[in-house]
Amino acid sequence: MIREGHFGFYEAFSLMTIVLITKLFYTSPMVIIKSLGTAAWYGTLISCGITLVFFALLFSLMARFPQQDLYQIFEAVTGKIVGKILILIFAVYLLYKAGITLAEFIAVLNVYSMPYTPQSVLVFAFLLLVVAMAYVGLEGIARVAYVFFYPIIGSLFLLLLLAIPNYDYCYLTPLLGHGLLRTMETGVIRSAAYGEIVFLAVIINSIHGLKNFKKVGFITVISAGVIFSLCLSCILAAFQYTVGGEHLSGMYQLSRIIYFSRFLQRVESIFLFIWVITSLITVSFAFYLALSSYCRAFKIQNHRPLLLPFSTLVFVLALYPDNIAEIIEVHVKVLRAYSSLILMFIPIMVLIMALIRGKKGEKANDQAKP
Amino acid sequence: MTKQSLSWLLALAIIICLPLSGCYDAKEIDEEVYALVIGVDEGVQNKIRLTFQYATYKEGGGKAQGGGGNGGDEESGEVDGTIVATIEASSLLEGINLINATVNRQISLMHAKMLVFSEEYAREGVAKYVEPLVRFREVREFMRIVVCKGKAEDFIKENRSFIGSNPAKNIELIFEQSKNTGYFPDVFFSDFYQDLLTPYGQPTAIYAGVNDLTQMASDVGTGEPPLRTEEDYEPGSIPRKGGTKKELSGTAVFDGDRMVGTLSQRETRFFLMGIGEFKRGFFTLEDPNIPGYIYVLEIRLAGEPKLKARFANAIPVIDLELSLDINIISIQSRKHYEKLANIPKLETEVKLHFEKGLRETIEKTQTEWNADIFHFGRKIAGNFGTIEELEAYNWNRHYQEAKVNVKVNTHLRRSGFLFEAAPVHSSTTEGEQKE
Repeated sequence: MIREGHFGFYEAFSLMTIVLITKLFYTSPMVIIKSLGTAAWYGTLISCGITLVFFALLFSLMARFPQQDLYQIFEAVTGKIVGKILILIFAVYLLYKAGITLAEFIAVLNVYSMPYTPQSVLVFAFLLLVVAMAYVGLEGIARVAYVFFYPIIGSLFLLLLLAIPNYDYCYLTPLLGHGLLRTMETGVIRSAAYGEIVFLAVIINSIHGLKNFKKVGFITVISAGVIFSLCLSCILAAFQYTVGGEHLSGMYQLSRIIYFSRFLQRVESIFLFIWVITSLITVSFAFYLALSSYCRAFKIQNHRPLLLPFSTLVFVLALYPDNIAEIIEVHVKVLRAYSSLILMFIPIMVLIMALIRGKKGEKANDQAKP
Repeated sequence: MTKQSLSWLLALAIIICLPLSGCYDAKEIDEEVYALVIGVDEGVQNKIRLTFQYATYKEGGGKAQGGGGNGGDEESGEVDGTIVATIEASSLLEGINLINATVNRQISLMHAKMLVFSEEYAREGVAKYVEPLVRFREVREFMRIVVCKGKAEDFIKENRSFIGSNPAKNIELIFEQSKNTGYFPDVFFSDFYQDLLTPYGQPTAIYAGVNDLTQMASDVGTGEPPLRTEEDYEPGSIPRKGGTKKELSGTAVFDGDRMVGTLSQRETRFFLMGIGEFKRGFFTLEDPNIPGYIYVLEIRLAGEPKLKARFANAIPVIDLELSLDINIISIQSRKHYEKLANIPKLETEVKLHFEKGLRETIEKTQTEWNADIFHFGRKIAGNFGTIEELEAYNWNRHYQEAKVNVKVNTHLRRSGFLFEAAPVHSSTTEGEQKE
């Protein structure tokens, strides 16, 4: 088993928050606003609420098997073979997520900032850094996340504050958007956008067990929900639901309209900074976990020899979509609307199986005995 | 760390630096030439006639400006440190490519300050010309939208400044005059595009024109000149001599993407007050106590206008309330209107004047064009549950039915350097009773 190191609450919180909010900088706001209109800002809170319920269930699963991570629980509950298949499903999903997140980042970067640089060059340069991060391991990625957490969140709020003159909160009306039912439906489906919180259960042994797991999980989901909701309401207040639903990157566009005078304008470079760093941390995390999951499934002790083949796979995946429409309408949709089938459905099924079969971890069994 | 792994690490860092330096998209500043103004007219040999004004990076356009010269060259299109080039093309961006074939640097729209449509063209609809610019990465959101009387080409040829040598700065500064006078709105490209799509209201643009400087009557008048404090001027018709020929004055009103009418410079001030964009401006009002005399006030908007909207018997009712701060700049009669006892009367007179002006301007937009350029629709939207209901109602169609109540609160704050000015004494002065 790979030694993944240990880190504390703040590192875990920073890492998971960055992983959850990265999609805010890509096409997610556009898709949500197009789908929910003026209700987008609270539609995401519904997703957040659903994820909190899921996390409570996940916590109850983890509490049944103290000192075991999610993959160990898969094997303990479903048996070695099915457990390994489930781990491999997670590994493939994570690899796909790393590739598509990178593809989306590069596509948006191509549109806004580097139109003439070939995608392959951008993907290659980015992957070099991702491989370097993954080489160091999970602890390194978490500590990098912690170092950049305050600059990222600070810059994000600075951006929202600087854009205040452009806001008119009347544009959040009609309050029900395209109807409450549609908002609820989309809110439930898009809870997958917060589904990455399940990976906290995979790295539970690196964050000092259940107590930190519970604290980090709930606080991260709530924080990400608030940040998402705030950013969506700012995009709506600035661009209305009409234009807000067409901008490829609503947050980048928000940074472009900051104008105080002839001297204070064109501040989107602040945005570029947080955009690149968050993307780097998120892709590195997904890439590393994909590697680690694969190693776990096949009991490989050292993940480093796999860096090259896995980075090649991510490189291919990132360049696989033909165009931006394919990224948005197929791959991102799969990641943010339907991935709950993997991220949420599998752990819940495992919990149900554990309950039916009465399976518990060793320590939990000991505690249950008189 | 061993020496070998350190050297590998250094090599990796250097390799990473190479692609990250952005070589593919790198451009030296002087490899590009920055279009400052883009003009769109109807074409003759092709769909559109485009006029670009771009900087030459030379002081004064590189041409010696002799006394009495116009600082330009008709053939090369040189105008005060810029080149004005016109071309016909099938699309706006293709027009740029065609111009590129004639310029030794690539034309960039990164610093385009103004997009000018001829009025004739604006009345046909501008959405199809705005759309490619919205998608195009080089176009900045801060570019202003101008509709000019006559041809955009002629307007751009007169886009010169006799003050300062930086054409980009001069163009930016002209728009700042909106804050100082309120005679035209400062309409950003991003706002214009947003207003094209919005169900909450209708777009506007800056209205402009070219003054041939022949509007002023001959110096020999007949008798006492009339006092005209409420004069409306169209751009290009302000009676004046000297200075540049371009004039920004008034508002172009749109219904969707078609221009349907204009507000004069006076109405534009009321419009800007109504939307909370009026910063400051001088107003000359006739003294009701002494006909023929005037007082001049500097008016500022005190805070954002308060807007409420509701439906009463299926009729939309809008309540608009705004507060104005008044500074007295001049009282020709030297009456003591600034005295505490006289302030309420002056405030009421000013209040009535502005309420009337605002009401008339709103009525004009309702009756003449049914175009909610005040964006009252953003408050009306709160009365609908869903976007479908709002869009089915179509506020932009029902705007003309709305009853708009206007309330203006006025507060006299200061009276300039003087307080209780003393009367002028002459041999004909009669004893005056103290107020």
